[in-house]
Amino acid sequence: MMMNGYRALTRVLIFATALVLGADLQAGTAEAKSLIDKLHTTLLDVMKRADALGYSGRYDTLAPVVSASFDFGTIGQKLLGRYWAGLDADQRKRFLETFERLSTATYAARFDGFNNETFRAVSQETKGDWTIVTAELVKSNGDTVQFKYILKPEGERWRILNVFADGVSELAARKAEYSTVMKDRGFDALIARIKDKIDHYAKGA
Amino acid sequence: MTDNNNRRVLAMALLVAILPGCATQSTLSEDESDPLEGTNRAIYDFNETLDAYVMRPVAETYVDYTPELVRDGVTNFFSNLGYINVIFNQLLQGKVKQGIADIGRFTINSTLGIGGFIDIASAGSVPKHDEDFGQTLGVWGVDEGAYIVLPVLGPSSARDVPRYITSTLLNPLFYITSPIIGPTGVLGAVNERSNFLEATRLRDEAALDPYTFTREAYRQRRLNDIYDGDPPLDDWDEGEEGNEGEEAASNVLRIE
Repeated sequence: MMMNGYRALTRVLIFATALVLGADLQAGTAEAKSLIDKLHTTLLDVMKRADALGYSGRYDTLAPVVSASFDFGTIGQKLLGRYWAGLDADQRKRFLETFERLSTATYAARFDGFNNETFRAVSQETKGDWTIVTAELVKSNGDTVQFKYILKPEGERWRILNVFADGVSELAARKAEYSTVMKDRGFDALIARIKDKIDHYAKGA
Repeated sequence: MTDNNNRRVLAMALLVAILPGCATQSTLSEDESDPLEGTNRAIYDFNETLDAYVMRPVAETYVDYTPELVRDGVTNFFSNLGYINVIFNQLLQGKVKQGIADIGRFTINSTLGIGGFIDIASAGSVPKHDEDFGQTLGVWGVDEGAYIVLPVLGPSSARDVPRYITSTLLNPLFYITSPIIGPTGVLGAVNERSNFLEATRLRDEAALDPYTFTREAYRQRRLNDIYDGDPPLDDWDEGEEGNEGEEAASNVLRIE
């Protein structure tokens, strides 16, 4: 009888723990989803006000949201892979700052007009430590571009670690490129090329 | 199906076994992943030149002078002709239900859709699939092999080259002997190129090294196709193992 009582209590405790953990997990993925929603809302906002804002206005509007959405520290380290270890603290800082500017500049240049596009949530799921939020940009002609965001909690907050655009991992594609430039031309050339891209985006707008 | 699953597990196990090795021996892995890089780059440059002087200008002119509705019809027509190959590979991959549904799709679009010009099935929410023999080999557990850039055709891999054999042999156009076949083939190529104008423009705008960017995008895309849009996360996170022992440093140096 006593044993049964303990067993029942244990079950209740396990069940309660599972409920709490489950709720926590759900709350976590909801936060991950709301981070993506905020990014998409900001993108739609700059698209709708594209002309009024101009490139620099779009850049300034996007910068704080992009900064808060992505875990650039981890992304930068992954991008440079084995070359990261060979950089001093100042070089690492320069790379992370330059790459963050490139990310914001890319958004500011690409989302430069509005043609009745919408973002549609597709799914969200948890795999291990990661939450994956999938959404589609739906164009006015019905064509879609799928964005799959990989998010990981960083302390209290969720941050994006990678984006798959129509199945292509941004991190993997850029990592391969950066490795090639680092191998053939070195760190300063890499920074110079990224800055060229940022300037190109600014001028092209 | 069980056999397929076993092969997939085997392929996964191989990937897991190989990836950390790649990450820790990066110089070797870069060469191994693209052992033909020298030749590939030469062919890539040739393709880019051909594209810049012939394919892209022709495709741009085609877009300028052809209404979107017509271009969509042409895309649907060629896509429908290629659908026998899709069905064949679905069956090879054990996707029998999908294959049967897609036989229906092909039949409806070929008849009511006027030879495939109108994609009635999609309008009726019948999903369209994309399978080929390269994906089938991937599902069977065949390794990607060396990256190969083919003249004119572009990015491929040792595993993907055979896909051109089944897609050609299973395309009805291959069996038509008529003076119209030449112009039809050209139209197909121009139309296909026109569908990627925006993508290549974005690539040229973003890429620091377009050859490498194209190679990685191709690989990622193929992995995504093999896993029908749900590739394993271990693969996207490739390289993390190489940073072992640096996690602490990253936390210290993270710029918030």
